[in-house]
Amino acid sequence: MKVPHFDVTVIGSGPAGLAASLSAANEGAFVLLIEREARLGGILKQCIHDGFGLIRFGEKLSGPEYAQRFIEQLPKTSITIETLTFVTKINRQADGFMITLVSKDGIREIITESFVLACGCRERTSRQIGVHGRHCSGIFTAGTAQYYTNVLGKMPTKRCVILGSGDIGLIMARRLTLEGAQVVGVYEAKPTASGLMRNIYQCLEDFDIPLYTSKTVTRVFGEGRLSAVEVSDVDEYMIPIPGTEKIIECDALILSVGLIPENELAESIGLPMDNRTKGPVTDQNSMSMVDGVFCCGNALHVNDLVDYVSESGEAAGRSAARYLPKKRTFAEIQTDDSFLYVVPQMLSITELKAPVTFYFRSKAERVKTRLTVTADGREIYKKAYSQLRPPEMERVEIDFKDMRITTDSHICFALAEVD
Amino acid sequence: MSYIAALNKRLNILYGGKVFAAEENGCLFIKGELSQWQEIVHAGLISVNRKKYIGLVNEIRLSGVEIPPMKLPEFADNTLEGKSPEVLVIGGGIIGCSIARELKRYKIDVMIAEKEHDVAMHASGRNDGMVHPGVDLRKGQLKKKYNDIGNRMFSTVCTELGVPFRYVGQYLCFMKDWIRPLIAVTPLYWKAMNVPAEYVSRRNLNKREPNLSSRISCAVFFPTAGVVCPYGLTIAYAENAASNGAILCLDTAVLDMEVENGKILSVLTNRGRVYPKLVINAAGVFSEDIARMAHDHFFSIHPRRGTNIIFDKKAAYQVRTIVSSLGTIDKKAGHTKGGGIVSTIDGNLLVGPDAIETYERENFETRPDSINNITVKQRHTSPKLDNRDIITYFTGVRAATYEEDFIITFGKFTANLIHAAGIQSPGVTAAPAIAADIAKMAANYLGAAENEQFDPIRIPIPQPSGMPQEQRDALIRQDENFGVIVCRCEEVSRGEIQEAMRRTVSCDTVDGVKRRVRAGMGRCQGGFCGPLVAQIIACEKNIPLEKVRKNNYDSNIVFGDNKEVI
Repeated sequence: MKVPHFDVTVIGSGPAGLAASLSAANEGAFVLLIEREARLGGILKQCIHDGFGLIRFGEKLSGPEYAQRFIEQLPKTSITIETLTFVTKINRQADGFMITLVSKDGIREIITESFVLACGCRERTSRQIGVHGRHCSGIFTAGTAQYYTNVLGKMPTKRCVILGSGDIGLIMARRLTLEGAQVVGVYEAKPTASGLMRNIYQCLEDFDIPLYTSKTVTRVFGEGRLSAVEVSDVDEYMIPIPGTEKIIECDALILSVGLIPENELAESIGLPMDNRTKGPVTDQNSMSMVDGVFCCGNALHVNDLVDYVSESGEAAGRSAARYLPKKRTFAEIQTDDSFLYVVPQMLSITELKAPVTFYFRSKAERVKTRLTVTADGREIYKKAYSQLRPPEMERVEIDFKDMRITTDSHICFALAEVD
Repeated sequence: MSYIAALNKRLNILYGGKVFAAEENGCLFIKGELSQWQEIVHAGLISVNRKKYIGLVNEIRLSGVEIPPMKLPEFADNTLEGKSPEVLVIGGGIIGCSIARELKRYKIDVMIAEKEHDVAMHASGRNDGMVHPGVDLRKGQLKKKYNDIGNRMFSTVCTELGVPFRYVGQYLCFMKDWIRPLIAVTPLYWKAMNVPAEYVSRRNLNKREPNLSSRISCAVFFPTAGVVCPYGLTIAYAENAASNGAILCLDTAVLDMEVENGKILSVLTNRGRVYPKLVINAAGVFSEDIARMAHDHFFSIHPRRGTNIIFDKKAAYQVRTIVSSLGTIDKKAGHTKGGGIVSTIDGNLLVGPDAIETYERENFETRPDSINNITVKQRHTSPKLDNRDIITYFTGVRAATYEEDFIITFGKFTANLIHAAGIQSPGVTAAPAIAADIAKMAANYLGAAENEQFDPIRIPIPQPSGMPQEQRDALIRQDENFGVIVCRCEEVSRGEIQEAMRRTVSCDTVDGVKRRVRAGMGRCQGGFCGPLVAQIIACEKNIPLEKVRKNNYDSNIVFGDNKEVI
């Protein structure tokens, strides 16, 4: 049997993967789109709230509507779609990559010249943040609670405490309230909320759901089902302060304590990873440090808005379609310590014709700040911000054309206060 | 001065007259009241005298505290009323299940009563899964006898039962440089103890386990240490027992016994009264309660809690075998005994356990100080252990006697009773040997003949992710469900989950599925697959999703349809 060949294989059909496969197909590539679930759309399928697509479509769409905008374009393309299909192995070989797939039909192998990792992210769990006590039922990550509520139409709680003020937690606070559950409060160990400001207003304030900062859940109680949680104040290092414990009766603890890019496939083929983003190190074309392997969306770094995820997917798909094996040389992007991260981490200096899109997050909340980018001490870009918040990702485009960037160039991102 | 008099004098000094010892029927009883559990345990430990007494019974009350009674199933019925199995095994841990299976080698009717909704719910499912070489055991201990025999039986048993098992070996590491010449000759000691051992220099250790602390001066290697999934083995024993005809009664708690003239006449459960010819006490932390009911109370259990931490498979490169260290922390700093780093049979790192005396026999809660103490201690051995790689942690409670040894014997005062009690570490290792011995004792007692129909082989649930490609492909072509991945972290298919629910031991909970096929055991801890597993259970068992439970009663996952339940 002949092994099927593809130009570009996209792994994951969330917003990043959909955009990547469409843009690769637009470039004329022969594309395979692989999805492990039964339906396309990734996590968007369960995000029935609105607010998607403001930047991209100038409209407020729900998650499924947003995904549909991409899915309905697929039949007009030659993209091969494989759902309920799981990648078990990727091997590099002379003419590209051999990908092993498992599905209802058995095991198959395909060969692809390049591939795009668009595997999204997963949620941090209660154990990863050290929630202790009984191992009862009723502890959910916000995404799992969202799946029960929105996809299965089943109530995971009647009265809950939400730990963590990430966006999904805020959205679930509103969602569960609308379904009639009582959300006792959102507890955040950090001194400030982790979610977008618009979600703080629209999901908590509009529904009179209290937000408690510098407090965390230290223990859960319950024999079968969760029956109560203990919350404590935390100090500036987020360590619980003894004596401040308070017991709250509830039947569920819902966690929104961070997202982690899913990069087990990336790690299995030895892609160098960025400790800060937890995603692969890439150049401005979304190509990882391994030729022919691209990464986009939340698998690359956790985005705040889906519009950016699609943009990232589009760029990666386009680059993957245009990919020709050739030697790359890099200049490394350096940052001062005021950033959570800057993506991409590398500039491929042979391909600096077009402006480069960077995404970054500030480590701390800042007001009146200036971003300065220098190359070998020369200022090549600057932008002033009235406010920077870690939950909000920033995007800048910088043109390096005629900057004479070499592998020895020191390109540095810095944030400084302005008067 | 007699032992009792001397002991009473000592107890008097220590506890100001609040505690006294007395002999009853050859057993040593200590009684009184103290305000600290640690003191009660200590009083028991200093009172033990194995030579003079059958056993030590510690009846010192803890003032002001009601020791939580055994948790009971939340329903009662009459389904077992009047049943008369030849043998009633109380307890569905690894000991009870292995005994039941070995009993089926004879023509014996066997019933197992397990109060939980699944087997291996207590200590058997809450330990480090280590098959011990017997490093710290002494001649004369039953622990030593059964560990030695059990260890050698493991390959055969696991092959028969289709349970993954490997002799990976264990390094016992030493920190102090001056101790090296001494350690170099210790393999002779272990040789005399019948434990294969090999001295390993720092250089060789570094070759074999390159990620350990550079502070380690030398080690001793024990090649007969192994790793197994302890609940997997218990489930396998139970399934094989059941397919050979043993009746496994889950949700069945023993409440009382009718005893007359040193004989158990009947056993009352929440599901009716049962009339066995012989009772086997394999009730773990509750074995003392069973002994008391059977009028055969000659030992006490002092439960000892231990927490283990599971690290992501990504951290597994750090330790390839089992590694533990001596002399890492100041002895006065607390519990220094035991604990180590285990490369589990499933490819995770398991780190722990600690050891804390407790009167709460069923409190499996985890505490932050345990996690902290364990990781701080084990980082002396493996400095790269990173708390960010922790994916979960769990607590178990060991059923220790004051003699700190197993009790494998016919009743001392009750004839138709066999105890398999006080089984703590190395209980998993010893289980095959204990089971074989007890089955023989029971068969002799009952005059039972061999069962020619006994089939020792259990076909395991297929695990496609571990199969060669062609075999996996063929399996999927037989049943497409084996090609649909449900748990992405552990690569578990829908077919495996369905199969878990179609075995001889019933399984209808999310945790039950998890323990059988590992769906939800990975780094996302069931975030993605939890709802899918729950749906598969609902479909397979033909129940609404709100009836699907995590483990026991009341552990529902959802309450019902949106809006309708409020």
